[in-house]
This record gives sequence, C-alpha cells and structure tokens, in this order.
Amino acid sequence: MATVNIKINGQQIQARAGVTLLEAAKEAGIDIPTLCHHPALANIGACRVCLVEVAKQRTLQPACTFPISEGMEVETESPKAVEARKFVLEMLFSERNHYCMYCEMSGDCELQALAYRYGLDHWTYPSPHAKMTVDGTRKYFIMDHNRCILCRRCIRACSDLVANHTLGVRFRGAKTMISADMDVPFGDSTCVSCGTCLQVCPTGALVDRKSAYMGREVHVERTASACTFCAVGCGTSIVTRAGHVLRVEGDWDAPNQGVLCVAGRFEPLYDRRERITSPMLRKGNGLVPVSWDEALGAIAAKAKGNSGKKAAAYVTGKALNDTLGEFLRVFQGKMQATVGTVEPTLADLDLPVGGSLADVDAADCILVAGGDPLATHRVLGYRVKRALDKGARLLVVTDKPNGMLPFAHRKFGMAQLDEAVKVCQGSAAPVVIYGGDLDKASARKLAALAGKARFISLFPASNGYRARELGLTNGFSANGVKVLYLLLGDEELPDEAVKEARRAPFLVVHAAYKSAATDVADVVLPAPLWYEQEGSFTALDGRKVVVKPAVAAPEGVLAEAAVLARLAESL
Amino acid sequence: MAKVKVATDWLAACAGCHMSVLDMDERLVQLLDKIELTSTPITDLKHPPKEGVTVGILTGAISNTTNIEVAKQMRERCQILIALGDCAVFGGIVTMRNFFDMNEALKRAYVETEGTVDGQIPCSEELGRPVRVCAVNNIVKVDIHIPGCPPSPDAIYYALSELLEGRIPVLTGDNLKYD
Repeated sequence: MATVNIKINGQQIQARAGVTLLEAAKEAGIDIPTLCHHPALANIGACRVCLVEVAKQRTLQPACTFPISEGMEVETESPKAVEARKFVLEMLFSERNHYCMYCEMSGDCELQALAYRYGLDHWTYPSPHAKMTVDGTRKYFIMDHNRCILCRRCIRACSDLVANHTLGVRFRGAKTMISADMDVPFGDSTCVSCGTCLQVCPTGALVDRKSAYMGREVHVERTASACTFCAVGCGTSIVTRAGHVLRVEGDWDAPNQGVLCVAGRFEPLYDRRERITSPMLRKGNGLVPVSWDEALGAIAAKAKGNSGKKAAAYVTGKALNDTLGEFLRVFQGKMQATVGTVEPTLADLDLPVGGSLADVDAADCILVAGGDPLATHRVLGYRVKRALDKGARLLVVTDKPNGMLPFAHRKFGMAQLDEAVKVCQGSAAPVVIYGGDLDKASARKLAALAGKARFISLFPASNGYRARELGLTNGFSANGVKVLYLLLGDEELPDEAVKEARRAPFLVVHAAYKSAATDVADVVLPAPLWYEQEGSFTALDGRKVVVKPAVAAPEGVLAEAAVLARLAESL
Repeated sequence: MAKVKVATDWLAACAGCHMSVLDMDERLVQLLDKIELTSTPITDLKHPPKEGVTVGILTGAISNTTNIEVAKQMRERCQILIALGDCAVFGGIVTMRNFFDMNEALKRAYVETEGTVDGQIPCSEELGRPVRVCAVNNIVKVDIHIPGCPPSPDAIYYALSELLEGRIPVLTGDNLKYD
C-alpha cells in the first residue's frame, strides 16, 4: 500500500495515497467538521464548512475534496480556518429561515450542531427573508425550501444512490433552488418516494410527515433489522418510541447501502387494516375470542383422522426461516399433509438463483425477462439503473408494460428471447433478472446463459429463496381437503383463493390482519407483524437476513414458529 | 461597593425572555445583592434612567418605529447592551411577518382575526409605524448576545455573573441554545 506522510495539527500521519484530506484525518481520528459531506455520497465541496489551512496553498481548501500529497502540512482549527468556518455558518444561517425554535429537526440538525460547536451566538448579516415555498405535494414527506442549505445531498442521493435523477437545482447563486425534473411540484415529478433524500437531509428541509415532532434521536430507540416486504432483503433501522414505530431508515452498511423504497420505508407505516390480537373460534354464526389452548385444541381435534391427503397447509413465502421449518415439521412431518406456498417460488422455471446487488454493480449487460424489478423489487431496480449510469447495457424482454422499458438499450418481445440471450452471451459479466411472467419454454431458452451469467430471481415473496430451497411450490387447491391451514402473516388472499379455501370443511387462518379469509375461517390465530418478529429469512441472493423485533407484539400474539410448535405438541 | 445598575426592556417580544429572567428564582434574589434593577417592563419604572446604567438588556425583535426608539434610548443609556433571546439576537419568530405584505399582515391581525367584529387598523399618530422586522444588532450595536427561545435561566444567570466578575460571558454547552 502506497502511503503519504502528512502533518495534521502538528500530528505526523501516514495516510493511504490517493485519499482526500478529510479521509486521511478521519482515519487518524482527527475530526474535521463537515456539512455537505455524507459518507455514502460523492464529495462536491459545496458548503465550505470543512475549509482547512494547508501550508503553501494561497487560500483555505475544502478537506472533503482536497487530495493529500507528500509533506503536506494542515491546520484544521487554526484561527483563520475557524473564522472562515464561522463566516460560512453565519452566511448559511442568515440566508433562509433557520430559526430553530419551531423547526422539526432542532436537536438533530447538523447545521445547528455546527453552530453550537463554533459558539455562533449571533449573525452579522441581516437575513433577506425571502419567502420560499413548502412543497407538500408528496404523500409521505414534505420539502420546506426555507430550511434548505443547498448542500445537494438530496440531489446526490437521488442520482448517485437511487439513479432516479429527479432532483437538480434551478437558477444559480442566491436564487438557487432544489427542484424536481423541469421544475414541477415534487408530487407531479418522476420522484419514486424512496425517501433516500429524506434520510440524508442534514437540516429540517425534508420532513417525514409520519414521524415529524414525534421525538428526536435522544428520545427514540433504533433496532437494526431488515425489510420483509420483498426478497431484496434491505437492511433497515427501525426507529421507535414508547412502543410505536415512528419511521424506517435504510442501513448504510447493508448491501442496499442505505437505500429503501416506498414499500419498505413508508407504506407499512400507513397500514390501517384491523389487527387480530387473540385466537378466535367459530361458535354458532360468529368468531369468538378463545384461549390459545382452546383454539389449538380445536385444530388438533379436527386434525385427528384427517392426516395425509385429507389435510393441506399453505404458508406465505414471507414467513421467516424458523416458521417455515416448524411449518414443514408439523404439516409435512407429523400430518403428511399437502404443503405449499401461497405465492409462486419460481421453482418450476428451473433456473439458477443467488445473484446479488453486487453482481448488478459489476455487470456490463443486464437482461430483465418476465418481471419488473422497479415494480416488485424496487431497490434492485434502482441498482440496475445505477449500473446503467456506469455504462452497463440493459435488455428488457417482456410482452407487458414494464418500468424498466424506458431505460432499456434494447427491447424484445418474449418471442425474441433467443436474440436477447445471444446479445448477452457476447458480454463479459452478464446478469439475468427473471420473474414469474416467464413460461417454462422461455426459461429453457434463458438457461443457455447459465454458467456465464449471474441469475437473480424476482421471488414474489421475501423468503421465496428459502421456500424454494425447502422444495415448497405453490398450487393452491382444496380438492378433497378436510382440514386446511393457511399461514398468511400480513398477506391477504385474493377473493377466488378465499372461495377455494372455504371449500374445505375446516379452515384455519393464521394471520396478522382481519381479511376476507379470516372472516370465513373456523379458527383464526393471530400472527405478529414485521416489526414484532424475530428470526431470519433468506434474501434473493441466498444471504441470511436477520429480522429483529423493534416493538413487542400485543399480549396474546405469539411468534408463528412457537404457535406451530405448540400445535405439533397437541397433535 | 455600589450596586451595578441594570435596566431591561422589551421590544416585539412575547415576554418569555423576561419570564426566564424571573425563572432564575432565588438566584435573582442573590443577584439583587449586587445589582440594582432600575427599570423593567414589569416594574413601575419603565425607562432606563437618564443618568445611565451599566448593563442594558433588550428582549424581542425590532418590528416598529417605537422599538427603534426604545433600542436607541437603551443603547445611549447603557454601557453594555445585551440582546436576550432569539428575537433580539436573530429576529426570531417575529420575522415571519416579513414574509407578508405589511397591509396584509395588519389586516390579518386587526380585521380578519376570528374573534374580531368591525375591526380597524390603528392609525393614531402616537403609535409607532411597523417596519421590516430585524434583529437588535441591525439597529444598534450589541455587546453580548444570548440566544434561546427563551434563553435558559442558567444562561442568563451565567452571563450576569460573568459580567459582575468583570468578564465578557462566552456561552457554551447548554447555555448556548437556539430553541
């Protein structure tokens, strides 16, 4: 490793060659204040807060973009540097509305923290008090331009991390404004509400509607967990206070690199379905709450004499690994029942699985066939778009509308799949992303790329990988079934499936929410929600993803695996 | 030793900063051993004495011509001027009026308020005219800034104690807050 000798604040440092002054200082444990810098984003030196004094340089230099060189001598807190920093802070504060007393971010604001650090007790310059808009056109978060310091973190997150390129600036100088597309309201723009900009905003310019004024970092707890709403398996930080989930943030150190999508960050917090909190048994015309013993006893009584083909059990592919394990132990092992998943596991396509987001990063050619990652596995879709920004080519094979089509270098109908495969064969590091719209014949054609390409399966359920590994397939039928057990978690069944299920004389539905299926069930068992579960699932790349409870489940709601274990005992 | 004379006054303020002065509680009584409060908006004597005071304290923002007169008089009559609270230091919440046209703001306040019947915008010659809201240091020189909405009693006590010891207070840690 090539090293460079530099001196920071009189301290001799051996730093890696090619890094910036900020990186070298950080590695040596020297803190240089920053504002527009964010570890996950490229440095642009916009805010000038990290200005330092570098010997033999005519002016102060921004540490975040200044490369180190042999013999460099740097002072990070010299009077000149501190004076410049305070000047920058004064300018930032006086430019727009930065009155902390009614700001949602006060306490966690990076601008405020810097001002406290440098003892800013007043501003020299009068504020122009320009009236700026507050854009509330998006459902989940608002943009208050009055609080914006134009650090462009949001722009960089939108383009560099999510590759959505919605955000930019209009005008220049004092008139500069963050804007979406060709200056349209955010709600009317190409914004996909992934919320990554919200997560990186250092001030109160971007505000989450749900968790605004609900508590600052000192008041909340964070649980490192994973998103269970698709098979990408994004790392999350679930922010809670007093037993309530306030918001979900992306884990910077997980493969998703802090990025989440609307389905993982926002939508689950707006779920207003009615929760099931107690086991229920059909008595007369209605379902009445009963004890776990009574509910499980009723199931065990019906299960007796109805094992083998007379019993069937289907589980959502969202269920965690230990749930799937117990599920098979009870229904396949003990009862020899017909078992399967509610969602397809794509096992019938007989294609390789296990490609990862890192494979997409390294790909030079990406073939998407029979699925739309931007609709079902959005963070994967964003990653594909990121790869395209870096020069990868995209081939989309579909007969349906597909969110990836506008970005495709070449578009193919399903009938022209061979042609797409041929293009892919000519590339060095191809990645194939396939989904459930593929038929078996097409899958066989795609299989020609096995061995050369990395394959990513768009499993319709988050734990589809593990379900497929366990040999579970879907194929929902109540034919000749006397006892039917449905483990739905927070999923709902389509009406025709509910009708099919009700053909069984005895129907058990194990679910978190009241739905058409629970309404017609003979026994209803409550299930915990995504933020109450503990365990793991297997993401689409075969990676074990750990899920941690951020909030305790309501009293009386037990873990799915524990319920199945108790059921096994009573059989 | 003679007591150090201190005068306070408020401009466009909510009185919260003066509440925070009172919230020094028994420490205020201790301070009164060493200082004399010549005039405050919440005592009988409202104006700083002609012969002057050592320390003048202003809370609130400059929002009309009367505020400007009061600020200038305080500046003339004190040796050390303290701007106390976010409004005096930065302009604070009062500056929200700057985002609106003055007539619009006056109409909203005196005519359109929900509980008002036949409201009129006051126009007496004796009243100050509203001006664009700004911080005290945009009008007169300020020697010591104590931000906060309101500043904590601790910060106020610290600042006055430092002055009594002959030092210029430098706010740090919990004493320096903007909310």
